[in-house]
Amino acid sequence: MRITRSVAGRRHRTALVATTGLTVTALLLTGCGGSSDSDKGADANGNITLTVADFGQFGYKEAGLFEKYHELNPKITVKEDTTAEEKNYYPKLLQQLNSGSGLADVQGIEVGRIKEIVDTKADSFADLSKVIGVDEWVSWKAKQATAPSGAVIGAGTDIGPMSLCYNRELFEKAGLPTERDEVAKLTEGGWEAYLALGEQYKKKAPSGTYFMDSASAMFNAVVSSSPEQYYDASGKPIYKDSASVEKGWDLAAQAASKKLTQGLAQFEDQWQAALRKSTVATVVCPAWMAGQISTYAGDANKGKWDITSAPGGTSANWGGSFLAVPKSGKNVDEAAKLVKWLTAPEQQAAVFKAIGVFPSNQGAYELPDVKNATLPYFNNAPIGQIYADGAKSIPEAVLGPKDGVIKDSISTQINNMEQRGTSPDKAWDAAVRTIDKAIG
Amino acid sequence: MATSTPTRDADAPAPRTSKKEPTAERRQLWRSRLWRFDDKASPYAYIAPFFLIFGAFGLYPLLYTGWIALHRVSMTGLDSMEWVGWENFDKILHDPEFWTSVSNTFLIGVISTVPQLLMALGLAHLLNYRLRASTFWRTIILTPYATSVASAALVFALVFRADGGLLNWTLGLVGFDPVNWANGHWTSKLAISIIVIWRWTGYNALIYLAAMQAVPNDLYEAASLDGASRWQQFRKVTIPSLRPTILFTIVISTIGSMQLFGEPLLLEGGALGATGGNENQYETLSIYLYNYGWNLGHLGPAAAVAWAMLALLLLIAAANWIVGRFFRTSAVRPGAPS
Amino acid sequence: MTLTSTTPTTPVKLAPAPKSGGPSRPSRFRMGAGQQMKGGPFAYVALAVVGFSSLLPLYWTLVAASRTQDEVLASTPPFFPGGKLFENVQTAWEQANLGKAILNSVIVSSSITLATLFFCTLAGYAFAKMRFRGRGWLMTAVIATLTIPPQLSVVPLFMMMSGLGWGGQLESVIFPTLVSAFGVFFMRQYLIEALPYELIEAAKIDGANNFRIVRSVVLPVARPAMMVLGMLTFVQAWNDFFWPYLALNQQNPTLQVALGQLSASYTPDQSIVMAGALISTLPLLVVFVLFGKRIVGGIMSGAVKG
Repeated sequence: MRITRSVAGRRHRTALVATTGLTVTALLLTGCGGSSDSDKGADANGNITLTVADFGQFGYKEAGLFEKYHELNPKITVKEDTTAEEKNYYPKLLQQLNSGSGLADVQGIEVGRIKEIVDTKADSFADLSKVIGVDEWVSWKAKQATAPSGAVIGAGTDIGPMSLCYNRELFEKAGLPTERDEVAKLTEGGWEAYLALGEQYKKKAPSGTYFMDSASAMFNAVVSSSPEQYYDASGKPIYKDSASVEKGWDLAAQAASKKLTQGLAQFEDQWQAALRKSTVATVVCPAWMAGQISTYAGDANKGKWDITSAPGGTSANWGGSFLAVPKSGKNVDEAAKLVKWLTAPEQQAAVFKAIGVFPSNQGAYELPDVKNATLPYFNNAPIGQIYADGAKSIPEAVLGPKDGVIKDSISTQINNMEQRGTSPDKAWDAAVRTIDKAIG
Repeated sequence: MATSTPTRDADAPAPRTSKKEPTAERRQLWRSRLWRFDDKASPYAYIAPFFLIFGAFGLYPLLYTGWIALHRVSMTGLDSMEWVGWENFDKILHDPEFWTSVSNTFLIGVISTVPQLLMALGLAHLLNYRLRASTFWRTIILTPYATSVASAALVFALVFRADGGLLNWTLGLVGFDPVNWANGHWTSKLAISIIVIWRWTGYNALIYLAAMQAVPNDLYEAASLDGASRWQQFRKVTIPSLRPTILFTIVISTIGSMQLFGEPLLLEGGALGATGGNENQYETLSIYLYNYGWNLGHLGPAAAVAWAMLALLLLIAAANWIVGRFFRTSAVRPGAPS
Repeated sequence: MTLTSTTPTTPVKLAPAPKSGGPSRPSRFRMGAGQQMKGGPFAYVALAVVGFSSLLPLYWTLVAASRTQDEVLASTPPFFPGGKLFENVQTAWEQANLGKAILNSVIVSSSITLATLFFCTLAGYAFAKMRFRGRGWLMTAVIATLTIPPQLSVVPLFMMMSGLGWGGQLESVIFPTLVSAFGVFFMRQYLIEALPYELIEAAKIDGANNFRIVRSVVLPVARPAMMVLGMLTFVQAWNDFFWPYLALNQQNPTLQVALGQLSASYTPDQSIVMAGALISTLPLLVVFVLFGKRIVGGIMSGAVKG
């Protein structure tokens, strides 16, 4: 008994030890989980894995650029982590920026978000101004990623000059001309002419098909052709009074009431299905959209699609992105080098050639790969020629921090007008409510 | 032996002992104090981890939510809080989308809870028979419980798909047109409810079964002596005996439906899921909170939503208490079928 | 703790005791009245229907995961699994970081389970068998925490975790869930009946201090209940979605988070999503097949003793 008791103190200590032990185990276990994060850092042989987190389709995989980079730099392997919709990607990016963890070595940022990032999170990103040649970019593109301090936090990947993608087969069945020039001619009068063409299509449309996927695309094209979009130069939201927004909205409402659209939320499941099943005859096509169409419509529809200039020769920039390097990464320098390489003229040209994502680096424009580029999937459409002129006359747009949310909210409500016959007034009110919530 | 238990001499003085000259008595004394301390402190030490962890990660955040609700905090700058008073509450209370979510949550709650609990009751009744392979049946009906919200929601999303969905195909066989389940106001709520019902009916059935097996047998004997049929016995004996359990499952299911998140988020997925459909037709309060805080990036209003949920929960609790009292006073005494 | 209860009628549930009170042992010889009668053919048919509906979605997961998306969405869906399972699993594995996700899920679920077992057994024992000031209202406080849904505290938790540098880290999902009120309650209910005071007294007379009593008396007695609680906690932690989805990200996900992301990833191919769903469900299904009886018993005993 005596013995037992004298051990008693020790037993009590065992209690403590056990408790701490458990906690420590938990910590170790989690630490272990955290430490596998460090596969980003160089291993014993100096091998490095760089992660590129992006959304939609940047085209690097399609152009085989990551493999190529690995060949050029055998110690570096690049892993891409792609989210389909930018709407899902951005909130997570903000979250990771807040906690300073979970960020990839390179993060893509969409033009609709770049202002907010520059305004609030510029400190989290490495300054690329010394690494990349800022002058190489279309002037407005570089400006968008420049913080007040002069730091350039993102290298422009692509811009989205406007065109019109159309399904030749459906056009033919509907008794419309199928040649690029003829189609361009029919829509020469601008977006009203485009809608008129839609009515013509509807008269003889193959059953179950629609003239366009969603009027939201047309809305975005109209707005992005104007320098004044959702904010004024002083940073005040003016989307309620913006002329381009009003025009775009009216056109979309017309398209909806005339039932020219299938009313699909772009990039979502059913939209993808519509492309697979060829139920839409036209898609308003910023350069990067071509890649989406070829991916989702699939090999079965190869050669059925074609690309012509946008209605009225609209010169606009919808979308386009940046690559940024978070400071928290373990290989900031290597990541910056990768970014420089990926956004250099040759690589941008290769991406353009592969899936039609249009370069933002001016140096690329004179390369034969760009100038003479054609897209086999789209009946060998001469995209180099189609985009090159438009790209030069793109207006310098005023960006705002919530451009992305505003665009998305309006698109959702356009879908409601199309799909549910929501009245334009009601739909507009709903859009305003969401936008004001976001602007806060 | 018991006399030597040092915890008894509670009044012994406690002189500081010098470590250099430890005597047997002093050691004994020291030990006795240690033991007393052990007896007094141990229970608190044992429950302390629970309360410490709950305090740090449960209670404190709960109260802090209220504080955040009075501030402007944005996802782009978590460390800067700006006092705005009741503005956030004002915002959400004047937002029709908030009220849509409240009513959606309520409606989905009702159409998932009521059939779920009724079916669970019937199922428990069946399982209460003497069955071959009873464990097998119980395990089978519990398998949905092993499926995560995410897996369940995703496979049902595939079943409820407008084009190529299993359900529409089945409906097509019997001559119905395909339904765009997620798009409709009622169909989308129904779809979500079906996911909930699928996952939880078996679980609730087991809860009821346990309660049924605890009903004393003599109640049934008395009832059958009075000539009550089996249905009457079920109604007059089983149900009244299960009343507390039933009330309890109703409360828990109601609280549960207030938490619905994964099902609506993944029914259509993507950005549509994050707003509960393009007309918010299946947006629940949790989705509303998530969307406001994590997608639109404003945590102040999101915190205000959390407190609104708390208020609703308290309302439900009060309602339950009143209903419970009413039931208790008006209950037919079990075992005395009329 | 509170964050475990993300879904309706979670195991964090306890039914009030049936009015009858008294020892509620199901009698094997209860034949007199309708109950415990032999089930007729109707009962079996009805159970088969319910069982079929319970298993159908899981079977459909397998079918969809082993075919191509085109086959799954074809106008006549396939009824039997195809041969693409391995391929789809591989794609899902690469796309959604599943290897890391599985590791993370194992780490998170086991840490939570171990901690819950340890802390809840201690607290459950204290509440069941020890006398101390404030026991009654402290127990009430424990039970009250059951009704607090996690939604109420995610906003500050998120900010706290960011501040602690745990944003996006596994710590942020482990720590809030280290204890469970249900666990405390469950262990208390079990130990009240299963642990006689005499055993504790005898150990005290032997001079055992309190922790030794826990180790050599309480733990052996509590083991069966701990098994059940462990399994329930593991299932809960493995399947938890709401808070992990908000707290973690694609770079460092749990399985459920990875699954949620997979459905939003580029080209969300349905058969690949289903392959991911299959991977996330399979481990628990195996546990259920092996320990079904125990889990069923655990849920039922948790319910009655409440």
